[in-house]
Amino acid sequence: MDPTSQEQRLIALLDRIAARAGQAGRHADSEIALRELYDLTSSRLYGVALRVVVNREWAEDVLQEAYLNIWRIAGNYRAALSPPLAWMGVIVRSRALDFLRRRASERADAGVDLDGALAETVAGDSPDPLDASQASEQAWALHECLRQLEARQRELVSLAYLRDLSHGELAERLRLPLGTVKTWIRRGLEQLRGCMSQYA
Amino acid sequence: MNLLDHPDLADRLAAAYALGTLRGGARRRFEAQARHSPALRAAALAWQERFAAMTELQQAQAPSANVWKRIENLIAAEQDSPVPPVAVVNGGWWRALNVWRTAALAGGLATIAAVGAGFYLSDALTVRQTQLAQLDRARAGLAQENARLVSRLQATPEIRYVAVLSGEGSAASMLVTFDPKHNTLTLKRIGAFQEGPDKSLQLWALPASGAPRSLGVLGTEAVVKLPAAENQIGAAPALAVSLEPKGGVPSERGPTGPVLFKGPVLPTT
Repeated sequence: MDPTSQEQRLIALLDRIAARAGQAGRHADSEIALRELYDLTSSRLYGVALRVVVNREWAEDVLQEAYLNIWRIAGNYRAALSPPLAWMGVIVRSRALDFLRRRASERADAGVDLDGALAETVAGDSPDPLDASQASEQAWALHECLRQLEARQRELVSLAYLRDLSHGELAERLRLPLGTVKTWIRRGLEQLRGCMSQYA
Repeated sequence: MNLLDHPDLADRLAAAYALGTLRGGARRRFEAQARHSPALRAAALAWQERFAAMTELQQAQAPSANVWKRIENLIAAEQDSPVPPVAVVNGGWWRALNVWRTAALAGGLATIAAVGAGFYLSDALTVRQTQLAQLDRARAGLAQENARLVSRLQATPEIRYVAVLSGEGSAASMLVTFDPKHNTLTLKRIGAFQEGPDKSLQLWALPASGAPRSLGVLGTEAVVKLPAAENQIGAAPALAVSLEPKGGVPSERGPTGPVLFKGPVLPTT
């Protein structure tokens, strides 16, 4: 299936989920649509949750919260002007970051169990696989541009975004000198800017 | 410095802003300028959109099958619950569930600690601890499942009796349901009837023999909840609503005003 029709399909499902508001009879159809949306997107979104929180069980909690969130605010999608998968991905990322913040406030040592996993992520970096049948055009562009970065730069940029980490936090978690982190991110961003400017 | 005079720097800052690595004073200065500059805002938004695509690039992995089950249950609970969805969004029982879950987990850890200390002298230590940890994980899983079911059951009203009250020759005007689990009568106004400011509607149980007994005075809202015991409802073949002076009349006197709506009580099972 080409990306555009895949996007149309996801948008149609979001519309059907939103249609239940104010129409009691539409509830069953909304649930069917949510199930379809889940089948089409849950693996990819679980990947996002897992990347942010690292722990499988937590990632499942995050995924559950995210789909309930999507269920409730599907009606807002039309105003977002984003590709549907990215819109949902951002919801998952926010829920995952909320989850980590909640945990951090419950347990002072929450960062500890992340560190090992984080270091591993950077060391074992592999190019992000991309399923062209699902990705939006902007995802394709970002994918192409990230691919041109050095592996460690790509990882740092990805982690900075996905886990909302500052230079200092990245340096601490990855046990890298602060100056190194700053340089890699700066160079990574510069290259990314140059590359992304080719895609309107 | 006006960033608009330095488009390259502006774009670089917009990218760092969207990535999240622009922090502290630099971030606040960027935000301050963006508030007055549509072009700067547009650059930041464009970069936010570009980075949002990062969420599409993560490796896909199938979550376990019970995630969908949980979503399905929560949606069903939300649908059945008389609480409007907004209240659920704001935490409600989901938060309560998390507290419960945390407590269950803490209990489990305490058990491990206590039992673990006992085994410390034995050379089977590692094996036993692994077994215990496995047992505890299984137990915590069951406890979670339990908590989910309990909260779902609690959120779901059971409807044992229903009555449609209507006036003479008019369309249905009030829907009454009784939930024995919460000992609650729920009345929904369906028609457009609205009592005057000096009047109140009063709900009565009409027993097979004997005088009507008051079940309560209705507020003016579209959905009214009244506490009631199951024997008050189950024993009454019919319910009625009368128009009374503001605040209603004592039960012993019986209805003094006209009966507006009336209907039989029907058990749902």
